[in-house]
Amino acid sequence: MNKIWILFKREYRAAVRTKSFIISLLLVPIMMGGGFAAMIIMEKNKDTDDKKFVVIDHSGLMTRPVNQALETRNSEEIFHTITGEKIDAAYMVEFMEPDLQDPEGQQLSLSARVESQELHAFIEIGPDILHPAGEETKAYLKYYSQHSFNDQIRYWFQNVVNNNLRELRAAELNLDETQAKDLLWWINVEGMGLVTVDKRTGEQQEAEKTNELQTFLVPYVLLIMMFMLVMMSAIPQLSSVMEEKNEKIAEVLLGTITPFQFMMGKVMGGIGVSLTTAAIYVSAGVFTLNYIGMESLIPVDVLPWFFIFTILFILMVGSGMAALGATCNDNKDAQSLTFPGILPAIIPMFLIAPIIADPTGPLATTIALIPPFTPTVMVMRMASPVTIPMWQPIVGLIGVTLYTIFTVWIGARIFKTAILIQGQKPTISNLFKYAFKG
Amino acid sequence: MAQFRTVQFVNTGPSGLSPGLHLKQKTLRHTKQFKKKILSWNLRNSNYSMMNIIELSGVTKTFGSVVAVDDLSLEVPKGSIYGFIGPNGSGKTTTIRIIMKIMYPDRGKLLINGHEHNSDRLQNVGYLPEDRGLYKKMKIRELLKFHGELNDGTDLSNRINHWLERLDLKAYKEKKVETLSKGMRQKLQFIATILHQPELIILDEPFSGLDPVNADMMKDIILELQQKGATIIFSTHDMAMAERMCDYILMIYEGKKVLDGTLNHIQNQYGNDTLRIQSEMGVAVLKGMKGIENVNDFGKLQEIRLEPDVDPQKILAELLKKTRISKFEITKPSLNDIFIRIASPERKEAGNE
Repeated sequence: MNKIWILFKREYRAAVRTKSFIISLLLVPIMMGGGFAAMIIMEKNKDTDDKKFVVIDHSGLMTRPVNQALETRNSEEIFHTITGEKIDAAYMVEFMEPDLQDPEGQQLSLSARVESQELHAFIEIGPDILHPAGEETKAYLKYYSQHSFNDQIRYWFQNVVNNNLRELRAAELNLDETQAKDLLWWINVEGMGLVTVDKRTGEQQEAEKTNELQTFLVPYVLLIMMFMLVMMSAIPQLSSVMEEKNEKIAEVLLGTITPFQFMMGKVMGGIGVSLTTAAIYVSAGVFTLNYIGMESLIPVDVLPWFFIFTILFILMVGSGMAALGATCNDNKDAQSLTFPGILPAIIPMFLIAPIIADPTGPLATTIALIPPFTPTVMVMRMASPVTIPMWQPIVGLIGVTLYTIFTVWIGARIFKTAILIQGQKPTISNLFKYAFKG
Repeated sequence: MAQFRTVQFVNTGPSGLSPGLHLKQKTLRHTKQFKKKILSWNLRNSNYSMMNIIELSGVTKTFGSVVAVDDLSLEVPKGSIYGFIGPNGSGKTTTIRIIMKIMYPDRGKLLINGHEHNSDRLQNVGYLPEDRGLYKKMKIRELLKFHGELNDGTDLSNRINHWLERLDLKAYKEKKVETLSKGMRQKLQFIATILHQPELIILDEPFSGLDPVNADMMKDIILELQQKGATIIFSTHDMAMAERMCDYILMIYEGKKVLDGTLNHIQNQYGNDTLRIQSEMGVAVLKGMKGIENVNDFGKLQEIRLEPDVDPQKILAELLKKTRISKFEITKPSLNDIFIRIASPERKEAGNE
């Protein structure tokens, strides 16, 4: 055990002291933070240049309401409520009579004006928008612009037109304001967490409203983090062991330590590096969420599971990779073995969507109980707002522990034999031979 | 113990040696005989393990269809220097790896200090493998500290300084291993091997790649370590070094033991069949001469191997008829010569026929 510790220290220091480790440690938060910063900068530097539109209103109903909405917007909405600073673009609308003789010609000339950037867009309002029933093709609202798909301004016109149409229809039916409101009221479904009892106080806790961030972001972040940790500490074992084999460092060390101690020292070193990284990221995350007042997003209950599963996952994949590394003679061998090695980490990445969509469904439950996938999938499910039965993480943990013991055992057998053999290819039959015959 | 010595002196060495050499040889032979006596005595007392640090019996190791080590038995007495010689690929490294328990034999037994091996590593052993392997990115001091700690469990910083100074590496203490030359790396690895003062030191070709000054320095240190009580096993291709340093020599050829014992014991197997001659005519004088099996010409000196049962005096008489002789020495074959006799391609061909 003492020798594993000495090797662990060497591996840990060798990894942590490298420039690449420090750079990657800083780079990931900088990149993530940079994304937020970019969003904030984009928000601040919003395009506040005034925009001109032409509206061709075949219905003849919309001139007044659009003008009213424009007035409110241009005099109030585009200015900051406190500073009075202009924060959004003002819209100018020119109403144009529809050219009934040559509608295509009119569209073409307006398109040319958009293209020359004199206009931002032009809008056509269909003739039968008030009573579309039976005349659906004549009830349209068309927004012509260079990038209409990305152009969020079209929703401003959509809202103005539809709100006004509702008012007009309510008036036609002689409904008063309350009746109209009742008629048009749409109820949105709210996703709620479960009602729990506070273990300390015994008080019933109110169910919390779940939101999209929690459903998607938290499991996603945990999965990505686990994937990153495996990629940074378990996967490099392959090339690291191969290098030590080829440079005969392995033989020097094997005079003093057993192959098992050697392998474990290395894998433990990897776990140490990962836990350092994880601790830094998790505490940075917790701090940030606290700072911005979103501490409810911190999956406090899941974090211990996250750490336990991450350790087992790295142990599992790392010892496998170390064993495979011992069988490699050159980079070509290593490359061909890296992919199968990282499959347990990659496959859950492809299954994020279905698992998050239905964390308690048969697919998610089954995959979560297959040991190579348990660490990622189980943590992802636990971090989702749905409560999964408690037996599942426990059974998953037992399964992963047994499977990890198995991979470490078989990895050690392969490692022991292969580390001194030169020039044999890491074929499946050779791997079996190393593992079972020695 | 006195009676063993009496037994010993009955077996006097062959004649024709200088008195000093004779005496030395007797002492060495005596040591060997003495060891055997003690062995049998100890066997009766079931405590013979005190004598040999390593014992191999009937060790065989195969790789696929290749028999790397074939039924090898060996006893390495405590405190001795044991030299392993043999051509490339003869099984020296495999034998060493088996002793180091890096490899396990297919058959046969390995006793270390009289105990059958368990699965754990050897304690108190220093091992310098044939291929040097050091972490290139580590600093010299860190690397030695790591090896020291791994072997000894403690911080050996003081000894590190001592050895770095001794082997002229002090200036590189804070440099990375990758900045060192090949010879320097070898010295560094040698320090890593002996830093924890092991009782058994196994060196696979410790002198290869070293210049004469450094090789000499290393030789002195090895002898010093022996004096302090360490047992040293080393393999080498440098026959002169093996002759001068080793108490015992083992030669392996194609996985089999072909020679084992003290230098004198080995040389005696071949008898005094070697002549060293210096004459005015040089090698030309030997042309067409009968009774000569092989001539090794060194220019100023010719080393001749006689055919069996040829009288050296007859050769001398014949030579004197032809030329003036300035040196004529009847001697035993050198280790180098013995090596070549065993491992030369001709012999191999003859063996295959």
